[in-house]
Amino acid sequence: MAKRKRISEENTKQQTGKRQKKEIVLPPVITSDAPVHRQTKWTNKQRTLIFSSRGISFRTRHLMLDLRTLMPHSKAEPKMDRKDKLFIINEVCEMKNCNKCLYFEGKKKQDVYLWASNVPKGPSAKFLVENIHTMSELKLTGNCLRGSRPLLSFDKAFDSEPHWLLLKELFTQIFGTPNHHPKSQPFTDHVFTFSIQDNRVWFRNYQILAEDGSLAEIGPRFVLNPIRIFAGSFGGATLYQNPHYVSPNEYRRALRRSQASKYNNRVEARMSVQLRKPEMTYRMDPTDEVFQTITAESVKNSQ
Amino acid sequence: MLFRNPNLETDSDDTDEELQEALAAGKIKPGLIVEQQKKTFINNREGLGDKIKEFSLGKLKWIERLDLTNDPAPSIEPEDTASLENDDFHREMRFYRQAQASVLEGLVKLANMSIPTKRPEDYYAEMAKSDEHMKKVRSKLLEKKLSMERSEKAKKLRELRKYGKKVQQEVLQKRQKEKKDMLDTIKKFRKGQIDKVDFLDETIQRQNKQVTDKKTFTPNKKREYKNKKFGFGGQKKRSKYNTAESAADVSSFNPRKAQGKGPSKSTKKPQGKRPGKNKRKTMKNKK
Repeated sequence: MAKRKRISEENTKQQTGKRQKKEIVLPPVITSDAPVHRQTKWTNKQRTLIFSSRGISFRTRHLMLDLRTLMPHSKAEPKMDRKDKLFIINEVCEMKNCNKCLYFEGKKKQDVYLWASNVPKGPSAKFLVENIHTMSELKLTGNCLRGSRPLLSFDKAFDSEPHWLLLKELFTQIFGTPNHHPKSQPFTDHVFTFSIQDNRVWFRNYQILAEDGSLAEIGPRFVLNPIRIFAGSFGGATLYQNPHYVSPNEYRRALRRSQASKYNNRVEARMSVQLRKPEMTYRMDPTDEVFQTITAESVKNSQ
Repeated sequence: MLFRNPNLETDSDDTDEELQEALAAGKIKPGLIVEQQKKTFINNREGLGDKIKEFSLGKLKWIERLDLTNDPAPSIEPEDTASLENDDFHREMRFYRQAQASVLEGLVKLANMSIPTKRPEDYYAEMAKSDEHMKKVRSKLLEKKLSMERSEKAKKLRELRKYGKKVQQEVLQKRQKEKKDMLDTIKKFRKGQIDKVDFLDETIQRQNKQVTDKKTFTPNKKREYKNKKFGFGGQKKRSKYNTAESAADVSSFNPRKAQGKGPSKSTKKPQGKRPGKNKRKTMKNKK
């Protein structure tokens, strides 16, 4: 009750004060029938456009929808035609009043690429999305408020290289829900985790169950394999190129080739064994055997 | 890697002339192996740094960004980083611990700013996952738990059955052995090799054999008398010999009878004694 009193005092102060600059501070626990204070300080105005190209799989679509539900500062847009040039997206973002963009690009009905971009000045990054698990999977047991602000947890490895630093800043701006966003909830009950492992960025979303740090996974989970980082938004000079990246086409080709060459390898191996086999193992004089006496015992032993 | 040798071209489609031309033009170099040029990858560190400075929102307060960079929270068991790539469980645990460390740090930071983090019990708002979905999740969890319990139970039962079978076999063997032992002892008892047997919670003791025989078989009076008179069983031979005892026995000595003094006065004609033959004849004739 004491805390509530303090709030009411603050409110009166705000009303009487000249400038309404003082931030409204909510107590840790408030009752449901308490009046809602309008948050006025919304400085970090980030809006993220989340949409995709045509020809994405159902799983990618679900992932996209999950991200939309988790990010109250996101906006939607109909699917883009595959033939359209990528820089059109900049105009789309401008029309939608968005300054960040997540664009899912489906290729061959199986590969998913993700563009993360800062519109209109850049930078932008292209990723290959691997291992997608959506929020609707039943083994992910956590749940959180729709629109609560997530904590953004980054691996220490993000500080090691400039390209990781850039990606960290980009992710912070894209995935972080701005403070006092009108659609956001005033509680912190989940955490987005970005980790670097195997030269990839692993994304996880956990619910905070208790203050002591027990968590439950909410989903979605996916792995981002960086391909390139561009200076501009959806284009421009390449700032970074991932040397470890192997395109899925190449990977599949290698697999197929290894399977196809199985027979050839076997035949070649057999041939080479035959070629390498010596005709004589040891040079011997056949006349030496003339002086060997054959006894009954030696015959028995040889048998 | 390319295999090019102008001197040893036999199976290639290229003719010697073509190769010579190419060599003259500088397209190929003499030698067995010509290395393919390595692909160069762009990594413009300065450009990246400039770009970060350009679009960074680092000047904003932390509360606007809520980003945290930290190592994973210390784990309970020692971690093997080499095996992390192919070990799903340990990888996930690492992510979990990283999130944990961030939560522990972030919540303290928020609390220091006196910003609420916890949702009150009576604060109802739309959730990321619907109630219907959470119901499914719970039922799935329950099902999993139940199935695990069931399998555990079955496993235990299986083990118990295995153990029970063993025990039963042992019991059967023991019972059979007991039976055999019992029959053996009874047999021995019957044959008279042992005198005592425990049977059906009571101890049977061998009684004296003759006594039992007499009880079971008693001859009639006449036989008894005859036995007494003539003797029954045992050796008859030499039974009438004098022994030292019988010779010393003077109980039958009667001084009145002895030394020719004749029978004692008390000896009378026994009553009803049958008369002699002649007398009986004469008596018959008189009648």
